[in-house]
Amino acid sequence: MQRKTHNISRRTLVAGAAAGTLALASAPAHAQRCPATPPARAKGPAIWLDYDQHDMDEMYDQSVFAFNQKAVLARSDANNVIATAAIGKSERFAYGSDPIEGVDVWRTKRPNAPVLIYIHGGSWQSGRSADFALYAEPYINAGAHFVSVDFTNVRETKGDLFPLVDQCRRAVAWTYRNAAKFGGNAERLYLCSRSSGSHLAGCVVTTDWDKFGVPRTVLKGAVMGSGMYDLKPVRLSARSKFVKFTDEMEHELSAIRHIDRVHTPLVLAIGTLETPEFQRQSRDFAAALTKAGKPVEVIVGQHYNHFEVGDTIGHPYQLIGRALMKMMNLSTAA
Amino acid sequence: MQRKTHNISRRALVAGASAGTLALASAPASAQRCPPAAPRNKGPLVWMNLDQQDLDEAYDQSVYAFNQRFIQERRDERNELMAKVLGRPERVAYGPAEIEKVDIYKTKRPNAPVMIFLHGGAWRTGRSAQGAYLAEPFVNAGAHFVNVEFNNVPEVNGDLAPMADQCRRAVAWVYKNAASFGGNPNALYLSGFSSGGHLGGCVVITEWEKFGVPRDVLKGAVLGSGLYDLKPVRMSARSRYVKFTDEMEQSLSAMRHLDKVHTPLVLTIGTLETPEFQRQSHDFAAALAKAGKPVEIIVAKGHNHFEMGESLGNPYGIMGRAALAMMKLGNV
Repeated sequence: MQRKTHNISRRTLVAGAAAGTLALASAPAHAQRCPATPPARAKGPAIWLDYDQHDMDEMYDQSVFAFNQKAVLARSDANNVIATAAIGKSERFAYGSDPIEGVDVWRTKRPNAPVLIYIHGGSWQSGRSADFALYAEPYINAGAHFVSVDFTNVRETKGDLFPLVDQCRRAVAWTYRNAAKFGGNAERLYLCSRSSGSHLAGCVVTTDWDKFGVPRTVLKGAVMGSGMYDLKPVRLSARSKFVKFTDEMEHELSAIRHIDRVHTPLVLAIGTLETPEFQRQSRDFAAALTKAGKPVEVIVGQHYNHFEVGDTIGHPYQLIGRALMKMMNLSTAA
Repeated sequence: MQRKTHNISRRALVAGASAGTLALASAPASAQRCPPAAPRNKGPLVWMNLDQQDLDEAYDQSVYAFNQRFIQERRDERNELMAKVLGRPERVAYGPAEIEKVDIYKTKRPNAPVMIFLHGGAWRTGRSAQGAYLAEPFVNAGAHFVNVEFNNVPEVNGDLAPMADQCRRAVAWVYKNAASFGGNPNALYLSGFSSGGHLGGCVVITEWEKFGVPRDVLKGAVLGSGLYDLKPVRMSARSRYVKFTDEMEQSLSAMRHLDKVHTPLVLTIGTLETPEFQRQSHDFAAALAKAGKPVEIIVAKGHNHFEMGESLGNPYGIMGRAALAMMKLGNV
């Protein structure tokens, strides 16, 4: 223990001692912080696993663990401008009565094509469906329609996540019933998401579809990047400042507590440079699904942070893009 | 100047004061430094507004890209996957030395165009096998991908000339032998990144008559984040391992041989790269345009040096998209 302990923070040591395999994950994740080693501080009482309040706030704050957050977002913006120039703007369809309740559709030329439905991230606070031409382009070129779901944000719903979830569910049901309107095959719907969008997607794949009048197997597969599937620790974090969690919300919208309702094969993607809690959320959800006999696969992006994992949705040869092409049986070959 | 100057380093201010448009570029580039540059007293200027430390840093990518290691590790992981997806390339000699070989990743399309790639690594490191992941988008889009192996500068006594010669001979070999692997010799393209961008610059100013191939042997080239004037490089810490001479500086600075360019060029650069790397591409593009040579420069916001290199392996990334468009191949 003597050697090199000078550049390992007390917090890493503490976490490593108790969290077992997570220690491995948390060490490189720290390397995405600037400075990589946070200043020493007195740890408060543990409130979740071995984390005190300060740890928990950081675990659910991506900017702490991704020094280059702004740069990755700037890069996405730049690529989105280029992609929009290449494929044009989307076509908007309403799936509900509120103006926000619409989907942005980029069509492929292939007839009766599979459909990829996308739920965006942004800590439930931000993001607009029309801004994802950069994710749409690879799929429409490979022969699938791309349907990006618009939904309200938690600041507009007084901190309530239920309306966001309900909108995403209704958008999927709408797509099933209306796929033919844009040349889509209703029997080949797939789902993709990242970050808070994957929390919402977790809720979508645990929907009681009978209530929406669509088959249980409406979604043939989903690739969910960097999501949250148990809201309990999230509720303990600083995110509770903008999400008004209730016991009912925590329970109903934690996908890990409704595994019996999953009828969609899932692929969960995480990066080894993400916050240890985000990595744990996906691993624990996958373990619970496996235990319940549900088809699930975890794909791990070595050396990707939170934003870099999301970026791969637009890359057919990287983590999420490759998984989606395979799941949808799309070929990138000429 | 009062507002917000507290979080702008002295160096950025100095650069901003005299370098004009580059000031915009250098400020975000500094944002990729971790830790940020500490305030210090500047020494005598050795190149433009840079003192020796500035210049050394401007030619040291790790200073301006805190995530260098992670991007390289991501690349290594993709390369492992490529062994399963693409299989091993065919490795064929283009010259007598053991190292003088090209890795050929074949597409299924007959008489297909060929993308020839020159790797980077500050001339010091890098092997063609590390670029396996770059082949997949090209092979799937219907082009052969030929990754050139050449010496690193410590293996040739600090001399860049043998490396440029190897790259030139590799291109001539591909022209003469393309048919042997199903390639179309009249549809050869070049790409290079970083120090491979420098070597690519040397390749496109080759006197091809001496190699027995036509002047327009290369139908286009995408050169990413390269070096086209060796003078400031020579003044930097890179001179510790490159044994620059006046002749080397002159003959291997593409900027000084514009009349020999017979290939349309696309230069790519990221706004988070070092200010000197950005300037090199901008100045080369301006000189080419002035000389009436076809050139396009793509300035990619939010990309640092290594993120630009990674983008060649992505058909929807900056370099990959530019290369496929140049070859008139679909984005797949």
